[in-house]
Amino acid sequence: MSGFVPILKRELLVFFVTPLAWVLVTVFLLVQGMHFFLIVDHFSSQPATVAVQSPLQAFFGNTVLLYLVLFLLVPPLTMRLFAEERRSGTIEALLTTPVSPAAVVLAKYTAALVAYAFMWAPTALYVVILRRTGDVDLRVVGATYAGILGIGAAYLSIGLFASAVTRSQFIAFLLTAAVMLALFVVGIGEFVAREGSTMHAIATHVSVWAHMNELASGVVDSRRLVFYGTLTAVPLFATTRLVDAWRWSGT
Amino acid sequence: MIEAEHLVKRYGPKLAVDDVSFSIPKGKIAGFVGPNGAGKTTTLRIVAGFLGMTSGRVTLAGHDVEGDPLRAKRALGYMPETVPLYPEMRVGEYLAFRADLKGVARKERASAIERAARKAGVHDVLGQRIGTLSKGYRQRTGLADALVADPPSLVLDEPTAGLDPNQIKEVRELVRALGDGHTVLLSTHILSEVEATCDAILVLAGGKLVAQGTQEEIARKRRSFSVDFTVRGDPEQAAAILAAREGVARVRRGGETDAICTFRCTWRRTLPDEEVALATEACTRALLEAGLHVRAVHRTTSSLEDVFGELTRADDAPTGEGDA
Repeated sequence: MSGFVPILKRELLVFFVTPLAWVLVTVFLLVQGMHFFLIVDHFSSQPATVAVQSPLQAFFGNTVLLYLVLFLLVPPLTMRLFAEERRSGTIEALLTTPVSPAAVVLAKYTAALVAYAFMWAPTALYVVILRRTGDVDLRVVGATYAGILGIGAAYLSIGLFASAVTRSQFIAFLLTAAVMLALFVVGIGEFVAREGSTMHAIATHVSVWAHMNELASGVVDSRRLVFYGTLTAVPLFATTRLVDAWRWSGT
Repeated sequence: MIEAEHLVKRYGPKLAVDDVSFSIPKGKIAGFVGPNGAGKTTTLRIVAGFLGMTSGRVTLAGHDVEGDPLRAKRALGYMPETVPLYPEMRVGEYLAFRADLKGVARKERASAIERAARKAGVHDVLGQRIGTLSKGYRQRTGLADALVADPPSLVLDEPTAGLDPNQIKEVRELVRALGDGHTVLLSTHILSEVEATCDAILVLAGGKLVAQGTQEEIARKRRSFSVDFTVRGDPEQAAAILAAREGVARVRRGGETDAICTFRCTWRRTLPDEEVALATEACTRALLEAGLHVRAVHRTTSSLEDVFGELTRADDAPTGEGDA
């Protein structure tokens, strides 16, 4: 894996010295803060609902806001990774050093994942706040964050692949958002399709909404692990092949 | 040592590089010359391992570029034609990143950067953001990057492109100095550049290597296009005699003092090389037989530019790929 560490370090450096990161972090935390405030406000005005679901479950589970936030977060994190290097030609300098395509892909991916985790990290404060006023099951919190990381890992992997497909960051952004939207829309089929039909089975399997709802109530299903594991590994593998193929197709 | 054997690169039906073989011994500087689109950049990219080859074999310091790419790349310092750099990084940061990528050990990194920066002349801008550098400094940053891991082989694609005359001179001197210890392969479309810096010249046209050798060897390929006759006697008569000879395209008169006149006799392009000498003899004999006195016969030599033009013109049209 020669080359992994220096590329990872550079990607993180670039991420945190450009305004993009701080704009993203700011907007992200503003949205999440408002979201959290609304939920807490809702629960405090209607204490009876706590019996049905906990505030944390509402925050991560039964809400569309999480996906809106992911739309905001994932495509900007991944769009430049390869597209920019190809457009500016730096990919030529990068790939003529002793690095393997797998190391380049994994380093860029890891950098995006670290940045993603960095953005979510401050939301752990909400858990701290909730613990001061009530009981919070930390295993549920763990399952929830594992879900956030898993979904993020899969989306970021798709985003990385989209960034390697085109030289345009904008197209990479749109492609990533389109795939995320498609997965989400198919997932909605869970509520629309007739129960027992194939469509319903597929929809349930890919429904991010349902998955997060499950995880936010502390249920960790191995099928979900396999699903997100596959959704992460396949694009990563495809990206590695693509980077390798540039030697023949040209960048 | 940089070696290429029967290198072929095909883009669909197009042959971008057609059976190119060369060998540059350790410590020598070789220069690729050729018109735009001759396949120089494509060949260099293949040597650097950035492009795959359709067939053939390239070795850098004994390591096969295809079979053992990591080791081959470790032996290589490559400066791409466009000198791609990350504008948001500082020069020092960039060189540290590149040294790290190329496997320079952490404790040697600072001295490696210092040495490369000094050689390439960027030690005074190490703290500056690359995006704010002038073209000359960007070019030199690219050179410093190629040198930072002190590799045995260097491949430089148009190292002086876009520089001003002073910078060109500096870069040439730097490249010359690299000659001891490094094997250098560079490309250029400026002929005086190879004359000034290279031990060996590789002339590329239409993807084919049309000539290779030392400057002297290439110079020997120079065809004489004209002969100067210095004649004492009636100039009009001499001019008429020369103009009437077969193979003579035109006669130009010049350098007349008293009755001594010099005529530049240019041969027809269609005249085969071996008949130029015979035609020269015939002209001289005709002048003597007419009772004129021949003081000097001087075969003019063409410049390297003429040879280059001659070598690259005859070939089929460039493939259109390579320097894009």
